Amino acid sequence: MGSPITEWEGATAYFTFANNPAVLYTILGIAIAVTVLSIVKGGRHEKEAYEKLNGGK
Amino acid sequence: MEEQLAELVTKVAALEKSGGMLGTIDIEVYYFWATAFMVLIHAGFLSYEMGASRAKNVLATGIKNILAFAFIVPTFFFFGWWIYLAFPGGFIPSADGDAGLPWNAAMGPNLSDNATGVFWAAFTMFAATTASIFSGAVIERIKMSGFILLAILLGSVLWILAAAWGWHPSGWLLTDWGFHDFGCAGIVHLVAGAFALGVLINLGPRIGKFNADGSANDLPAHNVPMVLIGLMTIIVGFFGFLAACVIMNGGAQWVNIYGQPMTLSAVGFNTLMGFAGGVIGAWALTRDPFWMMSGGLGGIIAAAAGIDVYYPPLAFLIGFLGGVTIKMVNDFITKLRIDDSVGAVAVHGWCGIISLIAVGLLASGYPNPGDAPPVTLAGQMVGLVVCFVVGFVPGYFVSMFLKVARLLRVPDEAQVVGLDLAKVPLKAYPEGGTSYGLQPQPAE
Repeated sequence: MGSPITEWEGATAYFTFANNPAVLYTILGIAIAVTVLSIVKGGRHEKEAYEKLNGGK
Repeated sequence: MEEQLAELVTKVAALEKSGGMLGTIDIEVYYFWATAFMVLIHAGFLSYEMGASRAKNVLATGIKNILAFAFIVPTFFFFGWWIYLAFPGGFIPSADGDAGLPWNAAMGPNLSDNATGVFWAAFTMFAATTASIFSGAVIERIKMSGFILLAILLGSVLWILAAAWGWHPSGWLLTDWGFHDFGCAGIVHLVAGAFALGVLINLGPRIGKFNADGSANDLPAHNVPMVLIGLMTIIVGFFGFLAACVIMNGGAQWVNIYGQPMTLSAVGFNTLMGFAGGVIGAWALTRDPFWMMSGGLGGIIAAAAGIDVYYPPLAFLIGFLGGVTIKMVNDFITKLRIDDSVGAVAVHGWCGIISLIAVGLLASGYPNPGDAPPVTLAGQMVGLVVCFVVGFVPGYFVSMFLKVARLLRVPDEAQVVGLDLAKVPLKAYPEGGTSYGLQPQPAE
């Protein structure tokens, strides 16, 4: 379902979902969200680690 | 006879098509392997930074370095490449940037485009290099979340904006001023060094670095051999970096990013001569292997802006100047009570400044293609100021904001016990038999 082509002759952009902008934007949006949330989660882990070291303060 | 002629014509056409494709693939192969070599820069920075940290912080330092690389890659895909293509004229984006938007047909496997992916990859490695330069300066006391935000700002926004202006065939620093920075001495190294300086002012020193009277204590690297091997690995990677600064044209002479003809041999001559000058210069002054290897890196950077045109002994002398001055500059910065843990501001920022001025003084008059003015000292000075401002101003103000938001500096307690113990679920040296990592140092 991800292939934008049915034959290689004349193919150009052949990456998955190249012919389906809605899916492309969705995948891109998820990738951006994962990147941002990873930073947020990393920050939270760091905060909790330092609070624990400081006796929960 | 006519049949034979027709057959010949068909064969020639097939040969031409095959030759053209071979040229396209040659270019793709060249940049692909230059990019692979550039990964060695990051292997080197990883070793360098971990060795330069104290044992109690070694893994946290490694994590920080690896994450700088990892977060630059997607963010440079999301918006970094677009910035490069869209902003050569200044702050107003042009439609040329559309080719770098992350949903463009060129931004993925495409049988009609063998170039975008390898160029994007090479530029991404340049971006990660800027973040790694900054990363070393702030080890052992910066919060990871704040660091990642700053690394993304530097690697996927600031340096590439400077590159759009001064390392692009249509950049305004070239078209208006004839700016010349072959090996990104200003665009990468000065921007990153100035950014690091701006952040260091707000970040503050490591606990125990300075005494009440302002004198500095040495917080020694826990593994100097690891530092030296790391620096030498960075040097290897720099051959890939500088090779990627050359534009390969199938069937025609090489050119630099500005379109001036050059040879890859120039990079061979002058990279080695700059490196050697830097090592010898630092050795002559310090006898210290840390500064010798830093001098080698500084020597290449000091020569980088003019590597495409220098007479090799001149590259050696410029490299020597870089090597012999970096420790002095680092001592000066330390006197200002700024704790640059690895001398990044001196090695990258200062040597970037030397590099841009040297081209202005020694390589003035080289013509540029089209209507762009020739290389001049004035043009180099404008580029120097722009690179410094693009790095320093955002670095200072954004880190000030992060400081207010308590996202910049780790608590003192964590610094004393060590960041590894505080937050890393692994021991660097589980059988090392040392309690060094748990003990405050005398200065603490």
